[in-house]
Amino acid sequence: MADFRALESVNKRKTFYLLFFMAVLVWSISYLAITYFGGTGAGVIPLAVLITLISVWGSYFASDKLVLKMTRAKVIRYEDNPNLFNVVNEVVIASGLPMPKVAIVNDPAPNAFATGRNPENALIAFTTGLLESMDRDELQGVTAHEMAHVANRDTLVSAIAATTAGIIALISDILMRVLWFGGARNRSHQNQMPIFLAIIPLILAPIAATLLRSAISRRRESLADATAVSFTRNPAGLRSALEVLARDNTVVEARSSAVAHFYIESPLDASTASKLFATHPPIQERIETLRKLEANPLS
Amino acid sequence: MDITVIALALILFLVVFAIIQYNKLIRLNIQVDEGFSQIEVQLKRRADLIPNLVETVKGYATQEREVFERVVQARAASTSASTLPAVAAADGALTNALRGLLAVAEAYPDLKSSTNFLQLQEELATTENKVSFARQFYNDTVRSLNTAVKTIPSSLFVGLAKVGEREFYEVDDASVRNAPNVKF
Repeated sequence: MADFRALESVNKRKTFYLLFFMAVLVWSISYLAITYFGGTGAGVIPLAVLITLISVWGSYFASDKLVLKMTRAKVIRYEDNPNLFNVVNEVVIASGLPMPKVAIVNDPAPNAFATGRNPENALIAFTTGLLESMDRDELQGVTAHEMAHVANRDTLVSAIAATTAGIIALISDILMRVLWFGGARNRSHQNQMPIFLAIIPLILAPIAATLLRSAISRRRESLADATAVSFTRNPAGLRSALEVLARDNTVVEARSSAVAHFYIESPLDASTASKLFATHPPIQERIETLRKLEANPLS
Repeated sequence: MDITVIALALILFLVVFAIIQYNKLIRLNIQVDEGFSQIEVQLKRRADLIPNLVETVKGYATQEREVFERVVQARAASTSASTLPAVAAADGALTNALRGLLAVAEAYPDLKSSTNFLQLQEELATTENKVSFARQFYNDTVRSLNTAVKTIPSSLFVGLAKVGEREFYEVDDASVRNAPNVKF
């Protein structure tokens, strides 16, 4: 039952549904804005879209450089760490992707991330803690997971999710202010609906958008695990790497929710975010899924 | 709407459709070629490592002539093979011979701890992985191509694209197939 190809298609399909829900949410909030706020609403929508597009897509195009700055990662060459480069090269051959830039973050907490707007501009980074705590097979598993993010274009997917969530948040925010300062009341519009009927969706929509965005992120993590197995055909390597991460309780120093979705394991404390808002599926669940793949001789 | 407009639109649609299917087959066929040349590149890299490895082991384990000869012969066979089944067979034989050589090395503690040997071992481990990943990638591209050749609608354009089913790269040794990650 559980083979990596089936897992990949399930996760891809579910990402599609989630993105579809987000599109519905954007459409509903825009509809609400126009019906309740008339001209103001119609003006707010293009403004929100424009602001979000500029901020999100600017960082999308410069993602490799920006993330390097934020995490203080240093790009290395073959001579700096031949063993790591060998492992990355192996996964590159298995995946058929171009060779990414490889970077190291000076941090004792074991973690890794991938970024870059397309496979040609990809960058994968490892913390020094990770390199120290993992053997060859585990490192290969982690590398495959990161290269899987590159192959599945997860920087693009998360940029799309961030854009829609951003548009929803901005529209709600601006309209709440309009309500607060009485802009809507002064206007002569036909609808007789009580005002709280507009406030409730304005409060709920951004929360729903954040939840959807986290759900998409979790889907992409599960997908990256499955794709990683399609590269290495060795679920045991990644599984044992995740077990190392699960045992470890040091937290990445340069942590920030802005880059959390890039990491192989969530760099934030489990306690700070409830399961629904988590960017990663629970690590025990991921280990279990990989164990099922190991039991299957097909993979 | 005029009947000729509909006919023209239909023809245009069919032409675009044919082009897409044709290009898909050609692209998959090129990917298979690339996959195979990647295997050859990695096999060449491995062959290049072997003289150095054999010399290093010889320095410590002088009496294991048989093992050295097997490796050298398997290497010679693999460098002269050119067709896919021959390359695959020679590849399998060399993988086995190398495994024998490394098993021998286990018995010599001095050799095992020499930095030269450790470095060669890492080189060999990574090359062995690259060879097996290159095989796996090649077989994945063959699978995509063969599926396209056999399934409608792309199968209708096989004659036009002059593309056919390709052979999988199969290594005889069962342990090679089942263990893509070689640990030494």
